Amino acid sequence: MNSSLPEEVLSFSRSARRRLGSLGGAELALRAEQDRSERTAVGKALAELGVGELDVRDGEHQLLACAELCRVSGALALPWPLVEQLTAVGGRPLALVDLGRPRVDHGDVLDGWLGCDLDGNAHDLVVGTPTSAKLGPFLVPAELGAPQGRVSSDDVALHLVLGTWRLLGGLEAALAQVVEHVGVRRQFGRPLAEFQSVRFAVADASVAVRGLEELAKFTTWRLHCAPQPQRLVDATALRLHGAEKAVQVLRACHQLLGAVGFCDEHDVSVLDRHLQPLIRLPLSAEALAARLVPAVGRGELETLFT
Amino acid sequence: MDYDLGASADALRARLRELIREHVPEDFLGAFSHDPEDLALTQAFCKVLAKEGLLCLSWPVEYGGAGASVWEQTVVREEMWAHHEPRGAQYMGVNWVGPALMRHGTPAQRAQHLPPIAAGEVIWCQGFSEPEAGSDLASLRTRAVADEHGWLVSGQKVWTSYATMASWCVLAACTDPEASSSKRLTLFLVPMDRPGIEVRPIPSMLGPHHLNEVFLDEVRVTPEDVLGPVGGGWAVMRDALAYERVGIARYARCDSLLARLRQALGEEWDDLPAGLRSRWVRALVDVRVARLLAYNAVGRPEGVDPAAASLARIATTTCDQSVAELLLEAAGATALDSAEGAPVHGALDDHWRYAQAATVSSGTIEVQRMLVARQVLDERT
Repeated sequence: MNSSLPEEVLSFSRSARRRLGSLGGAELALRAEQDRSERTAVGKALAELGVGELDVRDGEHQLLACAELCRVSGALALPWPLVEQLTAVGGRPLALVDLGRPRVDHGDVLDGWLGCDLDGNAHDLVVGTPTSAKLGPFLVPAELGAPQGRVSSDDVALHLVLGTWRLLGGLEAALAQVVEHVGVRRQFGRPLAEFQSVRFAVADASVAVRGLEELAKFTTWRLHCAPQPQRLVDATALRLHGAEKAVQVLRACHQLLGAVGFCDEHDVSVLDRHLQPLIRLPLSAEALAARLVPAVGRGELETLFT
Repeated sequence: MDYDLGASADALRARLRELIREHVPEDFLGAFSHDPEDLALTQAFCKVLAKEGLLCLSWPVEYGGAGASVWEQTVVREEMWAHHEPRGAQYMGVNWVGPALMRHGTPAQRAQHLPPIAAGEVIWCQGFSEPEAGSDLASLRTRAVADEHGWLVSGQKVWTSYATMASWCVLAACTDPEASSSKRLTLFLVPMDRPGIEVRPIPSMLGPHHLNEVFLDEVRVTPEDVLGPVGGGWAVMRDALAYERVGIARYARCDSLLARLRQALGEEWDDLPAGLRSRWVRALVDVRVARLLAYNAVGRPEGVDPAAASLARIATTTCDQSVAELLLEAAGATALDSAEGAPVHGALDDHWRYAQAATVSSGTIEVQRMLVARQVLDERT
């Protein structure tokens, strides 16, 4: 039993954080909302990091490197469809969508989209015009093209897992901002961090984030050793947990930051808005839980006593 | 990265389940009942474990243990708690009194106390909490007043589990009221039949034996009874409490009860309200997260990390309570049945009642939050 990430993966993660962080983090994401061509620099930086050579399906180390890259991308609100690029099928970026109402985050930055639902039913996607909404500002509506058979359950699972690593990175960054803020912001003559209610809220958010981290690592490991259908069940459970913890943690972050947390100039505002597609698409948390009910009934969410 | 606990841990889990099947009836709900046979069963089961070298598996070989890995110890914690702790009150002696004796005891104390603990022959209780010192243990008021023979201890302890069953107590008392909070306490190893000790059970919703008062009236203690240095009790207590945070694998009983009720409901499970079934999904995920956080706390090369232990405890105790609610709701109209024929042999009712104490005992959830916040907010670099 060893829950530590391998050193070479951590080293790659540090390099990625340096290189991608140099692009500006949340500031870049905000600039890209105004000028979508700002994302060109992201594609270039990812290419320099060798993302094109990473194969998420080629063994545990490559998968973990991809997971850490997604975590970094979440922390930086990187305006790029990284999960969709890393999980590309036949060279085509893969979007997980509700086939009734397909939406693709950053759908306008790559070509040749393939979309599938959580059952793997796949279609060509014809992406439309970006809508520039406040929540999910890079979401692009799409229409279904020709059916393309089925994407494997393992690819769907990979997509769900990597998306949750991105979510994790975003939540860690938001919590770190809050920890910094309550340490320096003074009210009633003392730092916020000295108020017990603030300390308890930070503690509870920390439990949520660390729990999600451990579950993300465990689920990623299971992708290589559990049988199907457990791999997809585990991945869906991870996304469910990630989406619900994201709502809890981001709510706590906003409360502790006060009004400043709503301002676009603050990273948490950007992180929250940009993480929304991962929290709510292709299915809401409740819909994910409902999908898992039959699997749980059959004992496919493995525990010590199933 | 590898979450496999290893072949020896798997084999141990299988062996423990075999022994439990063989020696522990399916309707066993722990030693804390009005039926003396339950206590007798735990005493007999401890001897079975001791005979197989499984009672003190984690202890070093020199003290009669097997020097088991942290993952084998984890398996023991999980299997015992999942099956309603068939070691009864013994787990306290094995889990922390024994290890504290190894670290802080004199050679004579080790020789006297470790063999009976290893053989499953003695029950210990922990005389820490007081009416005026719950979470703030360092401020406890029981006084040990020095004289030419040692000390005379007077005061009152409360919430003392197993006090009616125990033959020995690790008793915390103030030996120097003027000293700083970290130096005012001393621990004493005291037999419960020593003159001046009176135990009064406190009836409670948790059931018998869980809560007791212990009154101390000029109880004689000598230098030979002191565990660790005089004035050094607080450090030993903090060690013990850190261990206790991960010592009870509450998530394992949640896991086991969800599986048992699922099986008992059979096809009726599909007829539960949709909202309840989706809560069941979330409960299983929460159980998994609590288990992983516990593994994260104990699996570090440097030993149990106190902040990680607090974090794991917050997750496992809140999970315990939400699973308790879910189980009773899923049991529907039979939820409050306690006589013969109650769902899962009354284990749901038993779990719900005990889960109410999960965020209070062994350090309240507020104390755990304080410890987590201290690491996150005050110790960041």
